[in-house]
Amino acid sequence: MWGYVRGGTIVAACLLAGLGEASAESQKIGAPPEALNMRLVGSNDLQARSAYQPTIHRQGERWIAYIGHHGGTDETPAPVNPQTGKAEPNGTSIVDVTDPAQPKYLRHIPGQEGKYESGGAQMVRICDGKALPKGDRNAVYMLRTFGGEAHEIWNVANPENPVLITRIEGLKDTHKNWWECDTGIAFLVSGAPDWRTRRMTQVYDLSDPAHPVKIRDFGLPGQEPGSTGAVPTELHGPISTGPAGNRVYFGYGTNKGGFLQIVDREKLLNGPKQPTPENLRIPEIARMPMSAMNGAHTTFPMKDMPIAEFARDKDGKTRDIVMIVDEAILNECNEPRQMVWFADVTVEKLPMMVSNYTVTESSGGFCERGGRFGSHSSNESMAPVYYKKMAFISFFNAGVRALDIRDPYHPQEVGYFIPSITAATDKRCVKIDEQERCKVAIQTNNVETDERGYIYIVDRANTGLHVLELTGPARAAAGLP
Amino acid sequence: MGRWLAMLVAVTALGALPGAAALQSSETAWREIAWPFPRDGWPAGRAFRCDGGECLGIEVYLRPKLGFCNCDGGVADDDEVDRVSDLDLISERFIPLRTGEPIRVAGMAGRVRAYDPRIRGDAPHLAVGIAVSHRCDLLVAVAHGAAAADEVQRFAAALLDANEIRRWMQSAMQTR
Repeated sequence: MWGYVRGGTIVAACLLAGLGEASAESQKIGAPPEALNMRLVGSNDLQARSAYQPTIHRQGERWIAYIGHHGGTDETPAPVNPQTGKAEPNGTSIVDVTDPAQPKYLRHIPGQEGKYESGGAQMVRICDGKALPKGDRNAVYMLRTFGGEAHEIWNVANPENPVLITRIEGLKDTHKNWWECDTGIAFLVSGAPDWRTRRMTQVYDLSDPAHPVKIRDFGLPGQEPGSTGAVPTELHGPISTGPAGNRVYFGYGTNKGGFLQIVDREKLLNGPKQPTPENLRIPEIARMPMSAMNGAHTTFPMKDMPIAEFARDKDGKTRDIVMIVDEAILNECNEPRQMVWFADVTVEKLPMMVSNYTVTESSGGFCERGGRFGSHSSNESMAPVYYKKMAFISFFNAGVRALDIRDPYHPQEVGYFIPSITAATDKRCVKIDEQERCKVAIQTNNVETDERGYIYIVDRANTGLHVLELTGPARAAAGLP
Repeated sequence: MGRWLAMLVAVTALGALPGAAALQSSETAWREIAWPFPRDGWPAGRAFRCDGGECLGIEVYLRPKLGFCNCDGGVADDDEVDRVSDLDLISERFIPLRTGEPIRVAGMAGRVRAYDPRIRGDAPHLAVGIAVSHRCDLLVAVAHGAAAADEVQRFAAALLDANEIRRWMQSAMQTR
């Protein structure tokens, strides 16, 4: 028999009375997209599959977009592929974007069965065989995840007919990999079965994609097999600057407890490999904690950036910057704001946040629109067209945002594009008074650019691919004709 | 509005002075205390201390963690309990005592595991971590005290099974 007494309900009632209803600006089918200094060039529905990473690759005279997908939905676990007439678990879409105004869907490679984050083939990277030290010169290799259980390499030289080359399997999770095309070194986000974390790093030599060679497992002390005590935040994804830069920037966390880890690539590849706490510490140069209320989805390095404001200073005219993008994961603002941060890592041992950026919520009533609002990822292409000048940030229901980052101490939004929803756009729900209440809103998930300057955004809520270009002052800021 | 209501009720309860809320049974007397930890990535939860009978001194901390990536798999293994169950709030150096076991709390499935939190004291001080899930959300609890792990778990489970606590958890997790 339990008895229970609680005070303070008056306070709760007063607080409730103070909650006002902001006007919702829900999207409607048929309404035009919302845009500033960005223009829709073309689109493709991607067979109404929830999309994660787009990677655009030039193959001869063709430009091909490879798009990784999340798993299916409760309503449609495996959408029908019109090309085969069969229900296929979400995997990888291959789209010819040579003419960006008329994207042509070439092929769907099914992924792991499963729904939402549990299935699909989220991640995809591409390397030419002629760039890899031991690759087939005629091949084009696609590295993709297969749900949470494997990494796969396909030959997509003929993108209409991909051929599976090899598989690295037996994992408990995967995520946002990085593959150096000039060396073949891959930093695979994996869940090794014996590690205490769901996501850590497996470093592989994939210079000969047909014969993967494992170099080592890597993570944070406390994550390795056999350790005890608190388990550090799991990995989200790395970006390497290759042998020349000799750094790998790891982002840990999603929307909580994040940090940036700066790692000496040479020591990581050639240091002692046994996963002891001591050996895991050797390659680490610095670790910069973020607020416990933010995580690090993308850690995008930009070294030697000239800062106009510092041009007359005797020292520190150029700065090494890492742009860190958090990932929002809860619908309708039920979490702290996830946004974009700029860290000055010039003094590597003591990196420091110097600026930040978020979409202004009130500019679109985004907490009321439905789905997630907040940042997710940035473009990761380092092609000269935008590198160190313009960054594109996917912001879920606020679409994609174009940032002028030439002064990373003062990033400026110069454009945006929020696609229209379609009949394929999936709902996003929250529980209100114990009832599920759903809204339909765009969920711009990931973004990438190509060397021509086109911007590719994909939707987590099944709306497909949108190819964009900059216009007006934003185009001028990027130095485009 | 339900989620806001649940959060506000939790805030209100936390704001109450110790002793304003009490749970009692024939052998135990639980008193709600202020959340004893500094702000971290998750909103504060609810904390209870047992002041009577055999459970003298056992404390239980519980809170929802909304947004959990294993939406389908739930709390799949003991590593997950190590990672998420807030053991690190009481000790960074905890050591598991044995393999965990399945548990159900307020209709949600998960796992419970016993630990030595390596807290110095005159008497052995042991802890249990509990993590259960509903869809993409977690409910976690950690209990500790100067008692055998089985006893800590038994008293914690009884507290979590109290009607008011169960209702609060279900409301906070939006599972009703």
